[in-house]
Amino acid sequence: MTREEIIAEINAELAEEFEIDEAAITPDAPIYQTLELDSLSLVDLIGIVQTKYGVLISKAELPTIKTFAQLYDYIEQHQK
Amino acid sequence: MNYDVLIIGSGLGGLECGALLAKRGLKVLVLERSNQPGGCMQSFRRGGLRYDTGLHYVGGLAPGQAVHKAFAQLGLLDLPWERMDEEFDHIIIGGRHFTFHQGYEAFAEGLAKDFPHQREALQSYVWRLQHITAADMEVSAYDYLRQTFSDELLLNVVSAAAMKTELRRESLPLFNFAHTCASYIESSWRLKGDGNLLVNKLISTIQEAGGEVRTDSKVVRLTETDGRITSAACADGQSYEAEWFISDIHPAVLCQMLEECPSVRKAFRRRMEAAENTNGMFTVQLAIKPGALRYFAYNVFVYDEPNVWTMAEENNPVKGVMISARTPEDETDTLRQIDLLTPMPWEECKAWADTKVGRRGDGYKALCRQKTEQCIALAEQYIPGLRGMVEQCYTSTPLTYRDYLGSPEGGAFGMRKDCRTPMLSFHSVGTPLPNLLLTGQSIILPGIEGVTMTAFETCSRITP
Repeated sequence: MTREEIIAEINAELAEEFEIDEAAITPDAPIYQTLELDSLSLVDLIGIVQTKYGVLISKAELPTIKTFAQLYDYIEQHQK
Repeated sequence: MNYDVLIIGSGLGGLECGALLAKRGLKVLVLERSNQPGGCMQSFRRGGLRYDTGLHYVGGLAPGQAVHKAFAQLGLLDLPWERMDEEFDHIIIGGRHFTFHQGYEAFAEGLAKDFPHQREALQSYVWRLQHITAADMEVSAYDYLRQTFSDELLLNVVSAAAMKTELRRESLPLFNFAHTCASYIESSWRLKGDGNLLVNKLISTIQEAGGEVRTDSKVVRLTETDGRITSAACADGQSYEAEWFISDIHPAVLCQMLEECPSVRKAFRRRMEAAENTNGMFTVQLAIKPGALRYFAYNVFVYDEPNVWTMAEENNPVKGVMISARTPEDETDTLRQIDLLTPMPWEECKAWADTKVGRRGDGYKALCRQKTEQCIALAEQYIPGLRGMVEQCYTSTPLTYRDYLGSPEGGAFGMRKDCRTPMLSFHSVGTPLPNLLLTGQSIILPGIEGVTMTAFETCSRITP
């Protein structure tokens, strides 16, 4: 998948799953605030990325993903 | 009527939470969808004998051990527990016979007599069992055993009694494997009587403290008001209000009750609904002719070959079976009941998924008969002539578990835990709603020890 395809797909998926307006998802937007994540729903985000792309975000690398752009980077770099 | 705590499901976890919280002064209501409480702990009567669904033996009940401390608080130590033989598990693989001794040192030394070249590995193994931490949720049990034991047969022997969890090479975390094995090595016990003793004791504790347990009360909907669950509506039209809600049912089933709750977003529901379930079990429950067989206070695990870790995937015909004898309740030294258990993946009975108990058809009956024959044939490696001692025979499959206990796909140990995805497969007792908590075998650990420890964790969120 190209980066553009990943962005379009994951944005639509996250908006649907976390029940927010897709327009709020921009590359530099803070992921935790935008998706209203807490420690429990963070696991839901990890689950979506794992199910959709077979990419498992490790516990050690979680803190490096703060914006949507960083999430796209992570998926792009780790997808099989 | 308002309650402090409403518990959905009366399995071991639900009743333990109910008893703990009731003893701490809270007004508790437990709602059970079926007409009999107890979940996997319940027993049923056939032909004058009582048969258990899930209770076979319990570990760690000696003073100072983990389950003893928990059961003391739950008032369960008064039940007629009987310590099993010092050699509590017998393992037969490919005709060779090995035994597990109670006590870590005795366990290691006992097996070292058969595997003297692996003495150090056995000592390292029992040390590891006593030093398990949450970090072991990320460690593969199978990989750990392969690194520890160079002898393939011994690897199979130490794993052979772990049929009480889902042995799966690629996913089973060391955390689960070790908890499944360790408490039984510390000490192993059987109840002199059926699982209803345990169920009734917990219910009495709840009732004596002013709580209630209602059967035939199927919760269909939970209502959220201002970010908290406020009431549970039942299929019979009754509705109950409470401050706290605990779910002791499969989380995917709970999610069906939360469809109208705005705080529960699709992401949570889908994660719970998409989670994999463990394999089920095929169980043969035999009534033995009076006086035909002496009681034995140990379990026997019989395998055709050393394939303990892959057996469940290729268990057709049956390649391994657990033999569990029921403690005699009279003064004789002969037994009346034996259970034979073997793993059975959902795929084997999926063809009858749309059928109901007693109406599954001839094909299903033929499958049960065939598997029963295979289980008895394997058990006869240890009990020659067993077939001729049988007076009555009852069977259950994952479909039976699904229909009686509400466990999706009849999974015997709830949701599957995976060392590759621990964050996704081990669950918090919390939910998106601050006053709705989870308990039961799907959350952290299955088994009596696992469910009991989880119940304490769940209750600590309400009364720290």
